[in-house]
Amino acid sequence: MKLRQSAWWALGLVIFALFPVVVTNPFYTTIGIFTVIYMGCATSWNMFSGYSGYVSLGTAIFYGCGAYTMALVSIHGHIPGGAEQFWVVPLGGLVAMAIAVPLGAVALRVRRHTFVVITIAFFFVFQLAAINANFTGGPAGLSLELIPWQGDAYNTPFYYVALAILVFSVVLSALVRRSRFGLQLLAIRDDEDRALGLGVKVKAVKLTGYTMSAFVVGMAGALYAMFLGQIYPQFVFDPVFDVTIALMAFLGGFGTLLGPLVGGLILESSQQWLTANYSNGSLYLILFGALFLIVVLFMPQGIVVKVKEVWSKRTSTGSDATQAPLATLGSESL
Amino acid sequence: MNSSALIHALVDGVLTGSVYALMATGLTLVFGVMDIINLAQGILVILGAYLSYTLSVHFGVDLFVGLLITIPTLFVVGIVIERLFVARLKGPERTAMSILVTYAISLVIEGILNEVYSINQVQLQAWYVNRSFPIFGIYLPYIYLLGFILAAALLGSLYYMLYRTRFGASIRASLSDQTAAALVGIDTKRVATICFGIGVAVTAAGGMIYGATNAFNASSSYDLISRLLTIIVLGGMGSLGGALVAGILMVMLQDIVAVVWSPIWSSMSFFVVLVIVLSLRPQGLFGKQSARVA
Amino acid sequence: MKKLGNLWRTVGVTSVAASTMLMMANASGAAPKSHALAPIKIGISLSLSGDFSADGIAFDQGYKLWAADVNAHGGLLGHQVQLDVVSDASSPTQVVTNYQKLITNDHVALTFGPFSSLLSLPAAKIAARYGYAMIEGAGGAPSVFQAGLNNLFDVSLPVKDSLVPFAKWIAALPKGKRPANAAYVTTNDAFTEPQIPVAQSIMKAAGIKTAYYSVFPSETTDYTPIADAVAAAKAQVVVLGSVDVPTVSSFMQAFEQAHYNPKVFIATGGPDQGTTFAKAVGIKNANGVMVPNGWYGGATTPGAQAMVAEYVKKYGGTAATISADVAEAYSVGQITAQAVKATGGFNNAKIIKYLHSGVVLSSVQGPVKFDKLGENNEGTAFTFQWQGSNFVQVNPVSSKASKPVLFPKPVWGK
Repeated sequence: MKLRQSAWWALGLVIFALFPVVVTNPFYTTIGIFTVIYMGCATSWNMFSGYSGYVSLGTAIFYGCGAYTMALVSIHGHIPGGAEQFWVVPLGGLVAMAIAVPLGAVALRVRRHTFVVITIAFFFVFQLAAINANFTGGPAGLSLELIPWQGDAYNTPFYYVALAILVFSVVLSALVRRSRFGLQLLAIRDDEDRALGLGVKVKAVKLTGYTMSAFVVGMAGALYAMFLGQIYPQFVFDPVFDVTIALMAFLGGFGTLLGPLVGGLILESSQQWLTANYSNGSLYLILFGALFLIVVLFMPQGIVVKVKEVWSKRTSTGSDATQAPLATLGSESL
Repeated sequence: MNSSALIHALVDGVLTGSVYALMATGLTLVFGVMDIINLAQGILVILGAYLSYTLSVHFGVDLFVGLLITIPTLFVVGIVIERLFVARLKGPERTAMSILVTYAISLVIEGILNEVYSINQVQLQAWYVNRSFPIFGIYLPYIYLLGFILAAALLGSLYYMLYRTRFGASIRASLSDQTAAALVGIDTKRVATICFGIGVAVTAAGGMIYGATNAFNASSSYDLISRLLTIIVLGGMGSLGGALVAGILMVMLQDIVAVVWSPIWSSMSFFVVLVIVLSLRPQGLFGKQSARVA
Repeated sequence: MKKLGNLWRTVGVTSVAASTMLMMANASGAAPKSHALAPIKIGISLSLSGDFSADGIAFDQGYKLWAADVNAHGGLLGHQVQLDVVSDASSPTQVVTNYQKLITNDHVALTFGPFSSLLSLPAAKIAARYGYAMIEGAGGAPSVFQAGLNNLFDVSLPVKDSLVPFAKWIAALPKGKRPANAAYVTTNDAFTEPQIPVAQSIMKAAGIKTAYYSVFPSETTDYTPIADAVAAAKAQVVVLGSVDVPTVSSFMQAFEQAHYNPKVFIATGGPDQGTTFAKAVGIKNANGVMVPNGWYGGATTPGAQAMVAEYVKKYGGTAATISADVAEAYSVGQITAQAVKATGGFNNAKIIKYLHSGVVLSSVQGPVKFDKLGENNEGTAFTFQWQGSNFVQVNPVSSKASKPVLFPKPVWGK
């Protein structure tokens, strides 16, 4: 069982690694880059929000901070446009973490439902500050030096760096899941007061999880800034990003390891492709909203859990462990 | 700074703030009774504004008279949304799921409104929208005063219903403890449905005033919902009085900052106050200090 | 969800097929000479939904009008023009995906710009990567040129100079008539903000005091407190940095409610939107409102009236209702056509070199000549004013086509 699962993960990785080799068209590799970036962010978001139940709608704060780190360091550090800039990517993650500590310290004092709204409020503080401050370039944003990679060769390094971030995110998320720390996060999700009573240092655990999840998102933001070569405050601090990331996790399976990956893959790739090919924005909104409603109402645990449920019904006699309460246990082996 | 601009900011704060308070009251009521965060409240306000627009432009119905049609319409819309979608949400992640479901609903409504009304912004027109009268050395547009009266009247009747009627008592019971309310024989399901309907119905009035004082289109809903959410968090989620105070406080603060300091920092000032208040009082200004984990 | 799963698979399959095609096609995107009559594709990403969609749609009309015009006259060097328009929902991320799609997947021969400076810059960077020229009509903010791209050309006037003829007109008024003070208020937008200080310095030099200066955030929806603050300053001139009609109409409404009647009211964007503007504020309130622009429906520049006639025939309305966006887009097509003709083909490198050569080209917006950064230095700014139900050119005063300014502006509603 264990071996078979590892084999599936390895196969997935190989497919992703080979994607730009097989599909060389930059249109599709660009979609690939954005998709992999979003999958990494969704996994990382889920590592805190999914495990602890504290839904954050302020993820774009870290994305934006990462992006501005990349832009400001490249511009003021006179880093020539090119591969050297990749070294700034982890720095973007560190800056995001440094910002997550005070934010988390305030936001995590409140109840779960208020936490959602507080993260939205924090998000607007950051967006407004970025639009109105001077060092951020204001609404005109910041323009990075042009990277002199020509044509089709441009995307490949970005794709693999994004993939590296994704792999890091998945491995980290899996390790957390199996660790004592991960169990503590899950205990908080099930019943925070009880976890506290059992001696879990809930404050420290929550803050650690929140800060850790900022790292990957910050790196992703930095990579995005480098890839586009141009950032604007309203697009790196984007409320749609906040919601999209959460959506991806819920769509695939909130709190599971595979869920955010599946959700990110489906949502981001289809969204980019559909917008480019079908220009009717409002029709898209209606379809997207309706589809989303159907998923939430009929597969409240996400696609991954649903598929697994159906699968195990077919293959087994129906008496195995997947029949246990799905919200907390069904995803364990995923 | 010019004193008349400051007076204007204060007056606008009270008048416009009461309209925001009305819309936020609907949101906080739904949360308090049902643990549901209705992200569609913003787009429902816009829907209310568009309904008023259609009635006034195509049927020549006065904006205030039109409310006799739009308020019941949105009440029904609320009931339908609750029965079809919200009531299906169960389990420990109910609140989080409600955010997603209502967000999806708002996307659908936004798409439909874009199709029907196009994305060009419109504003509601009536004689009292453009005319103003002098008071305290400033000119005050009639619409602001009328909007305030409307909001105050609706909030008043809402409070009357809550505190002076039998049904209100069962709502308040559900507000303070749903399980206990069910145990004493209150039909919490029915209470929830009607509460959701009421919570949505107030958007008809709020939307009409919003549409008469702002140019709007479907995407104005994002700005609205973020304001409404911050109002109910500042006031204390589930607290009706908190929504009232926070609504007025928000608009007043933003207006004063815009006039005295710079419009650039006006919306940010409110968020900063929110963060400060929450770090001192995590439950908000008037929130209950109940179990930390719901 | 199954549908979307299939979709992704379809994407995968089509992309393999597309990449095979790509390998067979000429990677530089130049049209093979042997197919003299094969249609030529031009790639454009436009905001057909989202924040900039009103302008995006006007641009779409302008581009299509130009293409129809060229095709009716035998096409570009005998090739019929085919526009390949994709939608970017006003998002820079999507713009990046879209121009890659246009260039590498759809194999367009040329690229035209999207709407607004915000999207033009990322679009031009993609085009630069593939050696394409990015000829655009709505990316004139200083930040765009500061990026120093070699392949970017803006056929319209650089935005920072837009208010110059207006400010000069005010400054030149005889002493008794010249306003004493002015209020400047602008949204913090890359398009409007750079215009205001330029106008302010000219007017300041003429002794016009600054009664109020404020920048407000672009995401503002309730303009009342800001407008009230402007009204309270009681300046004789109001210079409003705006990008759209709702902003201007909100300010005008607040001014009217406060019984504040400035002698001069100019807004950088909004009053140029023809009927959309007139309807939003009421035609009576529009009387006397001014706006700087590179073009208007009554323009007498070569080809302008022919374009206006075609526009009215195709989309309805009147000359006064045509947005300047249409002319900006149309001009992009015209400049490209001249470059293609002069270079004898669709080679982007040659086109870029030609456009940088200092040659003076002509468009419905007037003469076009690019400097090193791709700015059009030949462009003249005009100021327009609503007079009654007419939208007329009033500045520069030296221009023969300019009518006298309606000054002071009539009281609101008169």
